[in-house]
Order: sequence, then structure tokens, then C-alpha cells
Amino acid sequence: MASIQYIGETLWPGHLGHICIILSFVSALFTALAAFMHLKQKSTQTQDWGRLSRLSYSLHAVATFTLIALIFFIMGNSMYEYSYVHEQVSDELPMKYIFSAFWAGQEGSFLLWMFWHAVLGMIFVFKNDKWTPQILFSLGLIEAFLASMLLGIHIPLMGEEYKIGSNPTLLIRDVIDAPIFATADYLTLIEGKGLNPLLQNYWMTIHPPVLFLGFASTAIPFSFAIGSLLTRDYQSWLVTGLKWALFSAFILGTGILMGAAWAYEALTFGGYWAWDPVENASLVPWIIIVAGVHTNLIARNTGYSIRTTYAFYLLTFILIVYSTFLTRSGILGETSAHAFTEMGLEWQLVAFISFFIFQSLYYYLTRRSSIPTKVKEEAFTSREFWMLIGSLVLFFSATLITVSTSLPVYNTVREAVWEPGFIGKVIEDPIEHYNKYQLWIAVFIALLSGTSQFLRYGARNWDSYRKKFALHIGISLLIAAVASYPLYLTFNDRLWQHLALTFAGVFAISSNLDYLISILKGNIKAGAAVMSHLGFGILIFGTLYSGLNKEAITKDPFAQAGITKSQKLNTNVTLIKDSPIPVNNYWIEYQGDTIEGNLKKFDLTFTKVDDKNKKLEEFTVRPSAIYDTKFSKISAWNPDTKHYWNKDIFTSISGYPKHLNSVDSMRVMEDTMIWEPMRLALMESDSIKDFTGQFMGFTFSPKQKAINLDSVDLAIGAIMKFEHPRMDSVFTAEPALVLKDGLVYQHPVTIDPLGMRVALDESIFDKVFTEENDLDYQDIQLKEGETKRINGTSITLTGFDKQVEAKRYQAEKGDIAIAGILKVIDEKTGKQYSSEPIYILRQNKQFSIKDYIAEAGLHIRFNKIDPTSQTMTFSIAKEERDLSYVDLNIAPEVPRSDIIAIESLVFPGINLVWLGTCMMLLGLLMGLIVRFKHT
Amino acid sequence: MKKIYIINILVIVIGVGLLLSASKDMTSYSTFGMAIDTGKRVKVVGELLKDKAMVYDPEVNPNEFSFYLVDSEGQNNRVVLNKAKPQDFEMSEQVVVTGKMESGVFEADEVLMKCPSKYKDEEINLRNQG
Repeated sequence: MASIQYIGETLWPGHLGHICIILSFVSALFTALAAFMHLKQKSTQTQDWGRLSRLSYSLHAVATFTLIALIFFIMGNSMYEYSYVHEQVSDELPMKYIFSAFWAGQEGSFLLWMFWHAVLGMIFVFKNDKWTPQILFSLGLIEAFLASMLLGIHIPLMGEEYKIGSNPTLLIRDVIDAPIFATADYLTLIEGKGLNPLLQNYWMTIHPPVLFLGFASTAIPFSFAIGSLLTRDYQSWLVTGLKWALFSAFILGTGILMGAAWAYEALTFGGYWAWDPVENASLVPWIIIVAGVHTNLIARNTGYSIRTTYAFYLLTFILIVYSTFLTRSGILGETSAHAFTEMGLEWQLVAFISFFIFQSLYYYLTRRSSIPTKVKEEAFTSREFWMLIGSLVLFFSATLITVSTSLPVYNTVREAVWEPGFIGKVIEDPIEHYNKYQLWIAVFIALLSGTSQFLRYGARNWDSYRKKFALHIGISLLIAAVASYPLYLTFNDRLWQHLALTFAGVFAISSNLDYLISILKGNIKAGAAVMSHLGFGILIFGTLYSGLNKEAITKDPFAQAGITKSQKLNTNVTLIKDSPIPVNNYWIEYQGDTIEGNLKKFDLTFTKVDDKNKKLEEFTVRPSAIYDTKFSKISAWNPDTKHYWNKDIFTSISGYPKHLNSVDSMRVMEDTMIWEPMRLALMESDSIKDFTGQFMGFTFSPKQKAINLDSVDLAIGAIMKFEHPRMDSVFTAEPALVLKDGLVYQHPVTIDPLGMRVALDESIFDKVFTEENDLDYQDIQLKEGETKRINGTSITLTGFDKQVEAKRYQAEKGDIAIAGILKVIDEKTGKQYSSEPIYILRQNKQFSIKDYIAEAGLHIRFNKIDPTSQTMTFSIAKEERDLSYVDLNIAPEVPRSDIIAIESLVFPGINLVWLGTCMMLLGLLMGLIVRFKHT
Repeated sequence: MKKIYIINILVIVIGVGLLLSASKDMTSYSTFGMAIDTGKRVKVVGELLKDKAMVYDPEVNPNEFSFYLVDSEGQNNRVVLNKAKPQDFEMSEQVVVTGKMESGVFEADEVLMKCPSKYKDEEINLRNQG
């Protein structure tokens, strides 16, 4: 195959990309080396190594940015010869989703991560201060590991081939071996697979960059920690390190919040947090860095807890790498709803994490004894003591989550190492499991966050302060005790643990408000911690209130009334178009659907009524089906939410008739439909299955939405009435046949309430309409204004049209065309028609274009003009028809197309969750801003 | 002894205690045979039988979806899920169901699917002709 000259490929981006990857890897490695040499230098006389490391990192950044630009370039130009482009984009993918497509793949998301490391590192390169070599040392190593994920080198070892990295700029024909590559112009035959429609939304555009900036930013406190341990300079970094840790906690927290909001809004997981391993994997590092921020504050203010700060910052980054391992190695298996599948880089990920674990342990353990500590331990009444306790509680929380989340890892290791055939364990009910333990963590944190703020560093003047402290805390405890019980009563699901957590939450809110007012005197600028802790208290209450009071509007009303003894949840109800149904306090009506872009939106109207059936409120929600790019299949469903200040009503479509799910399933349904023939005489009725049909007569202008009749088309429909003994309504239908451009089209009618479909038998067409050759024309001569009778028809020539414009006549140059305007009366029915047959003189030859009155069965031609006698010759043929009966085909069992099943849930107090979380993050941001202003 | 050491020890003791108590929350994947024997609520992991009927008809019951699963011991059983049919269920291979056996039918209230990632297949997407 190597000899084939492929047509249309653009090869230079691949070559350049490969160079960039190698350059990026090598320069990152060299940066670390140079920075290390610089840090190891005893004298500061020569700056060569330092300069080299900055130069090298700049080169690394340029190579990385170029690689990213290249991939955008090949994606933007739909170069499907590249495997990554083929996987991620397609012709139909709108350009605005190119970013989403870029980081939807593993390689792209590694690059996004590298991008942020490069950007953060360049900040230090430009600043070029004391910390630059320390930061570049670690960033260089991290970036080298990440770049190695893109190398795409295959190493044969002991009979097996090991893969190092996966190169995103490989050609598809180098990745997949397929017969299609025997054709030189294979490129004209292939198309991209495109982005999963679930990922085609704005969240996918903004969430990953923020989350990965969060990931990348944790490397900075880590770099400070490693660098200062390496240089044995344990204290001077604490001020700057804190700023970066605050930045990291803020960004990572924002990234997680966006993920939660996405899960809540778009992905139908029924909530903002499901304790999915992928969610936990990014939450845990955040908890640890928040703990680190607290111990860093202690260290900076009192000199205690420096070792703990080191441990937390080192651990944060290791946990980020561990989360990468969990989500990208495929080890989570069926325990996660949204992990990546494996890409053959498992061992490389293990090497990645192992390296940084060993590096951290090495520097921490060899330096531990020389890290300054205080001989005197923290006073029991000091702020630092309780802050440390709080940090330990956070650490404890993170440990519990990590252990539970790591269960699949444990299973794999146990099975592989000491117990082949071991059947892995799983958590039976993850949400309940995590909630059960984390609830108590939250209680402790809430109590501590309120109390420790009132304490002072070093327990300053405790003896005189004691009374004041007791008073403030006492008041807050009292408020919590009084307020928590009524609040607890608002929960639908009440356990004593919930009361305990409510108490702690209210205490956190009241004590922090008290602190803000009485100690900070309302100075919100100094209140970063208050803001965060207040937010935490609100979040706790919001979580409880929304979680415990969440309920389905669409509960089975019969189950509620005790009519069916179902113990099941039954939160879905079926809606039939235009038939409102009552559910929990609402009437819901499915009014119809409309297509917008690749969405089919369903209009669902909710009407709330009181006991006397008085309308209280009405609103419409529009959940939608997302079709794939070719519109052949529904690939996902979008819920829709009605927002109130105090609750959200969340409606999703849970069921749709199977045959409507894709073009294929529709075809299967139609192919397997069983038809039964039925002949009905005029006005006669007959029954089939449990309904009866009656033939009311034929129509030549059938009324159906899908029929668009042109003047030259022929159509016939049967007017049918259908009745069901158990239904009040009579259903009318006009199944029809249409002749368009020489083809006969079937227009059957489906009557959803009866679950049936009716079609006209095609033989009717030949029975009603006679072919030209079989017609028996009779000539008549008419003068203008004259009336003649023929075959029970009276015909009057009322005038002429000399500017003929009719679709059945195609004008040619030199034509003389005249239409005779006739008034035709069918004497049997008394009906009057107008007819315009056309006479043409073309190159001295006479032609006629006939006019056909379908209903009367009259064919009329305008044959001759005698200019001298002013008489016109028309010829007329009348069809022999038997319209006394109809042949139909009926499919008596057709699945309905006018139904959907929906689930509608109320989340009360959900805004408290968002408010609390945003306040926590805002507090981190305020802390960051205040610290920047002070330097 | 320093207070912090006491606290550390306390934390470790509580931690180990919690982990021990948490082991109650853990369970192994079960089989249909075990579900019949114990009559308890279990998690069964199995492979979806795609050639057997998968029935979800919102017209009849929007809260019932039934399918057949073959467990790790090769026994196949009808599963009735008391929920709507999850999107793309037909595409999944491994399925984990949680529930219990009731008169020969596995009544499940939870289902987890492991889909072969749709966008990971080693195949080439051909252009639509015409």
C-alpha cells in the first residue's frame, strides 16, 4: 500500500505537529533539568541555568501553542485524513462547537491541560523572580509527562508492543488498517464522525477550560512546595503560595460548580450531584486545597502547621493526577456514567502518578525534620488549633470519599495481584453511602466555621475575651436551637440526622452574620472568610431542603389515591396530544411539537388549579429531542426547566413511541404493518376489530396537510368516518391517492386514538380515471355565447383567453395559444364547473391541451377554430365510473404517534444551593483580591 | 502527649470504624440464581440479550420496561425495570440491574448501562452517497 499516491491529503500539518510534540516534550524535560541545576547551584553568580530554563520553557510554550493551533487548523478545515479530525468533527458540525470538539477527545483534553500549565508557567517566566526556577522545575516535569501522552511511540518489548502516548496528528490510514485505503482517492469517500450531540452545547464550551485551569493551577502550590523543600527555604513562600492556592481553589471550585450546573440543567441525571466517581475525583482535590488554604493561613499568621500545609499542597496535585488516572484509564468500568474509555495508556498514567508520589514523599521525608515547628503546642482556645481541626476534618472527608471511589482500583489490584478470580465489590447505593458519612463532616465543618472565627490567633487575651466569646457563641447556638426545628419540619423526609445538620447550618449562618456585624462592623472587605462560611451554611440548608423535598409532579394519581396498590415510584406519565391529564396539583397538556434546527421541541402546558377548579397559574415548558446531524435518529433529550425564585420545575421526556425514534425504526414499523382489505359500499359501514368504518363518498380534492396539489396533479380521496363504541367522538379521515409527475403517491391516514391506519387501494385509480386511449370523444361545435347539451352535460362557451398561462401549457416561440372558457353544468348533480381547454397553433400545426374536470369525469379538448364561421370545435369525453363502493386497506394495529411519556420534578430551594456555592467561591475570590492589594 | 496527637489517633480510630461500618454498603455483583435463593435485593451484572424482546410501550405503561439479561453464570432471565426505557439502551452491552426476584421475574428499580463508547469504535465513517 505504501506505493499508493493518495489524492487530496494535506500532509504538512502532520509533520509539523509531530515536530511540535517532540519539541514540547524535550523542551519541558530540559526546562526541569536546567531549573534543577540552577536550584542546586551554591553560588548565585551565574544565572546561565536559570536563563536556559526560562528559554526552554518559552520554547515549550511556543511548541504547545503551535500544536494546538495546528489541530484547530486541521479540524477547522475538516481534514478527515487525520484520525483526530475524523473522530471529532463532521461536515454538519457548526463551527461554534469546534472548541468542544477539540477537547472532547482524550488527546485534546491533555492539550487543554498542557495549555494552561504553559500559560501559568509563562507568567513566572516573565516575572522572573526568586520563585521562577522552583516553579519551572516542577512544571517542566509535569509538562514532560503530559507531552509524553501525545508522543505516539510504539516500543516492542518481550513480544508485546507497548504504546507511549497517542499522537493527535496521525493520519487515519496510519491508525486504522482498512481496505478503503487501497483507493487513492479514499478521502472523497469518508466523512467525520462528529461530536456526540450530548456535548453540543455551551457548557461543553466553557466547563472544560475552567476545570482544566483549575487542574493546572493546583500545580503551582505543588511547585512552591517541592521547590521550597528542595532549596530548604521553608517559610518565605507561604505568602505567595497562599495567593496561588486561593486562585486554584476558586477556579477549581468554579469548574466543579459548572459541572454540577450542567448535570442539573442538561444531562438527565435528576440532580446536580450524583457522587459519580468522576465528580468525586475533582471534588476531593478541591477539599484538600481548601484545607491547605486554612493551614497556610495558620502557618503565615502563627508559624504552626507548616508541615501540614506542605502535605496538603503536595497531596492536592497528586490527587489531581489520580483523578486523571481514574477517569482516563477505564478502571472505573460500570461504576461511572461518564468516564472516558481506555486508550491503552494505563501504565503510562500509573508511571505519571507514581513519579509524583515518590518525588513528594522523597522531598517531604528527607526535609521533614528540618521544617520549622513550634515547641509549644497550640492553645486549646486559639484560632489556629480549631482551624487545624477543621482542616483535619476536611482531610478526613476527602479520605472517605477517595477510599469509596477507589473501590474499583482495589478490586482490580486484588484480582491481579493476590486473588485471581476475585469478584469485585461495588457500593450498593452510592448516593446514600456518601451522604450518610459526609453529612457528619458537614455538621463538624459548619460548627467549626462559626466558632473558630471568634477565636483569636495565639489565644490573645483569652481571659478577658472569654466572656464575650461565650456570649456570641451562646446567642448563635440559641438561635440555631430555636430556628432549626421549625425549618426541620418543612422537610418531607425527616431523620434526626437532618435535624442535626439543620442545626449546624443555622449556627454557621447566624454566627457568621454575627461576626460580620459585631466584630468586623459590617466591613465586608475583610469578610472573605465570613462570605465563604456563610455560603457553606446556606449550601447545607439548601442541599437538605431541595434534596428532601424533591418530588415528582407526575406521580401516578391512582397510586396516590390508593386505587392501585403500587409501591413503585411511577414518576412517569403518558400524555396524549390534546388530552390534558390531571397529576399532582396540575393539569398537563401535550399541545404539539415543532422542529427548530436539529431539535424537535414539545409544547407542554401546565395548568395549576385550586379545589374549585379555578385556574391559578399556567405555563409552558418545551423539552426537546436532539436529532443527530443527519436527522435520522434521536440521539438525546433535553429537559426544560421552569424557574421560580423558590423552586425549579424540571420536565424531561422519558418515553417516546419506538417507531418515532429513528428513520430505521419507522421503516421497520411500516414494513411489519399488517394490512387487511375492506370493501365498503357508499354510506355502508362495517366493523373491523373493535371499531366501525363508514364510506361517505369520494372527493377529488382530499384535505390532508401533506397533500400539495398542483393544477396538473390528479387526486382522489375517500371520505371516511370511524367510530368506536367506547368513545364519544367520530373520527373523519380522507385517505388519498395522488398522481404527481407520473407517479402515484399513497396518502394513508393514521387515527391515533383508534390505533389504526387506513389507505386507499391503488386499484381505485384505474377504476375512476380512464386512460386517454380508452376515452370516447364526441365533437361539438360552439359559437361564443352558445350552449349545447351532450351526454347529460350542458356546455356554454363564454369567451376566450388569449394570454394563456397554465402549467400544463409550455409556451414556445411563435405559438398561437387560445383557451376557450367554458361553463359546464353536470345536469345530474346540478354542479357547475369552469373549464379552459387550450388550442395551440404551432408551426402551422394544430394542437390541443385538454382540460379535465376530475369530479365530473369530463375530458374536454379544444380542437379547431374555423375563423370564417366563428365556430369552435370541442371534443368531449365522459368517463364511465362506478363510485358506489370503495376498496380500502386497513392496518388495525398501528402504534400511536401522538403520545409521549414525561417526568416532571420539583426542586424546591435549589437556588439556595447555587447561592451558597457561589458565596463560598466569592469568599475565595475576595481573599485573593485582598491579598493582591496588600502586596 | 500533645493534644494534636490525641486528635490524630482519635481521627484514625473513627476513620477505621467508619470504613468497617461502610463495608456493609458494599456488595458483590450477584447472579439470578443467587437472587432466587436469597430473595434479597441484589445487583446483577449481565449481558443484554439483543435478540430477545425489549418492550417499552408508553401507551400501556410509561413506568415499565422489560428485557432479557444473561448473567455471569449463563442463566438468562426476564428483567422488568420500573422506570422508562433509558435512551440508547439497545446499544449497551453490559448492564447492571438492582432489584429482586419476584415470581420468576427480576423486578429492578435501577439500571446502569455500560455502553461501548459510540465514538471510540475503530471504524471509518463513510460519506453518504447521493
